[in-house]
Amino acid sequence: MSILDVEGLSKSYRQAGGESTLAIENISFQVNEGEFVSLVGPSGCGKTTLLMCMAGLIAPSAGRVVVKAAEVDGPPRNLVLVFQEYNKSLFAWRTVLGNVLFGLEVKGKPAREAEEKASYLIGLVGLDGFERHYPWELSGGMQQRVAIARALAYEPEVLLMDEPFGSVDAMTRLELEDGLLRLWKELGTTILFVTHDIEEAIYLSDRIYVLGRRPSRVIQAVEVRLGRPRNQLTTRADASFMELRNEIYKQTAPRLSSGW
Amino acid sequence: MSLSNHERGSEVKSSGRFNFSGLALFAALLLLWEFSSRFTPAIQPYFPPASRVIHSLFQPSLARELFGHLLDTLGRFLGGYFLAAAMAVSLGIILGYFRFAYSLLEVVIELLRPMPSVAIIPVAILLLGIGNSMMVAVTVYACAWPILINTIDGVRNIDRTLIDTGRTFGLGRWKILRRIALPAAAPYIVTGLRISLSIALILVTTSEMVVGGSGLGFFILDEERSLHTSNMYAGIVVVALLGYALNRLFIAVETKAMAWHRGLTARGML
Ligand SMILES: Nc1ncnc2c1ncn2[C@@H]1O[C@H](COP(=O)(O)OP(=O)(O)OP(=O)(O)O)[C@@H](O)[C@H]1O
Ligand SMILES: [Mg+2]
Repeated sequence: MSILDVEGLSKSYRQAGGESTLAIENISFQVNEGEFVSLVGPSGCGKTTLLMCMAGLIAPSAGRVVVKAAEVDGPPRNLVLVFQEYNKSLFAWRTVLGNVLFGLEVKGKPAREAEEKASYLIGLVGLDGFERHYPWELSGGMQQRVAIARALAYEPEVLLMDEPFGSVDAMTRLELEDGLLRLWKELGTTILFVTHDIEEAIYLSDRIYVLGRRPSRVIQAVEVRLGRPRNQLTTRADASFMELRNEIYKQTAPRLSSGW
Repeated sequence: MSLSNHERGSEVKSSGRFNFSGLALFAALLLLWEFSSRFTPAIQPYFPPASRVIHSLFQPSLARELFGHLLDTLGRFLGGYFLAAAMAVSLGIILGYFRFAYSLLEVVIELLRPMPSVAIIPVAILLLGIGNSMMVAVTVYACAWPILINTIDGVRNIDRTLIDTGRTFGLGRWKILRRIALPAAAPYIVTGLRISLSIALILVTTSEMVVGGSGLGFFILDEERSLHTSNMYAGIVVVALLGYALNRLFIAVETKAMAWHRGLTARGML
């Protein structure tokens, strides 16, 4: 059952000079209920643009997005976007706890229950002890995790994540990947995950859509048939993991396979 | 674009520690006042020594009278200031958020704003008579401008991503205004509120001088006309102390409420 349908989506931005930039062109793909799907593509190819359209925050120039059988023409309920610019998305006047609680407050959760839930999520993203800190007291990677915890607290049916692990170190990144997978399983959320990192995409996903250069289209859809639960050591060492990796690299950077 | 930043008052922050040299200078000025008056008796009717002013402040009958006037002034001040704050913040948030609303009112705002607010005192007297409502109205009018302009500015400076965050979490327009635009613009709003604090006191005392009847402004002018000069000075001292106390109170509240912002600016993230 598909929960998310992108049908022939195009978006062009009007430039100051009057001409327009075509960011994405005729993109179509589907995400089924409960799936973990990743989008990979080179910088500037229009991934953020695509997510903004899907989240109903900007209007596409052509095509449409359907979430749970309803066409998107404004932010859909049950869908939350975690912004790439996490530092601009956090509420500077709220503490870490306050930020995470926001996701629960807007849903009208009773205060006690909300606080417990928020503390649990803060622990899950590895920020225990920082509940009373303000976002500006945290590093970039920590701020990013607050934004993730806030979105998870809302328990959306569909979660769009725009390079959410962009500014965390490699070790923390592995932990966050596993934490995200655990929550995804627990909550039954559908996740669309944008990343530059092809290996990360393979590790996390059921399916990967590879986008080409701007104006981008889907140039490849890759099914990932690795078993779950996944494991940072064994999964990444799996022969089919390597195979998938090479296949995608061949598509996106053909020069790599021919050597230098 | 005619909104400007020049109204964002900069403020000399007190260090909080005991300022010995500053107090010493203050004491020296008091002594200068005292002795320049004492050694030139001819000017004493207009310029009595500090000690005489302080002495009259502690006359029970005068102190009681002054206290009554103080309460009247304070009441008008609070009424005008808080009404202005409530109205100007709400309107400012709407004007800052909805472009069409601003362009609708832009011309009116830009024409009225530069006019010295005291110029509407005669209009207010004509329309509202010479009671409290007139004095409060004038105060509201004058106080509203800095708060309004700063609030509009503050809302306009909110990052798009912050608004979009509210939208993706399913907040409607009005909830976004209240739960995101209002707190995000708070640092600007507070600046407007700080500027208006002194404006409110100016307008209350000025209209009391014009209208008469009661209040510190009235008292000061009335004592001057009756040639009770040291009483007049006593009134000025009380109004100065009132302004000082209100400002301290404001800073205390601001420090507590805006702690999050102080750290933010300290880290240079704005
Ligand atoms: N608001 C905008 N106005 C005009 N052009 C824009 C706007 N936002 C993005 N673009 C253009 O659209 C193209 C795609 O931008 P987008 O941010 O979607 O890319 P991205 O894939 O998310 O990049 P990155 O991986 O670096 O985040 C870029 O060429 C960019 O210049
Ligand atoms: Mg992007």
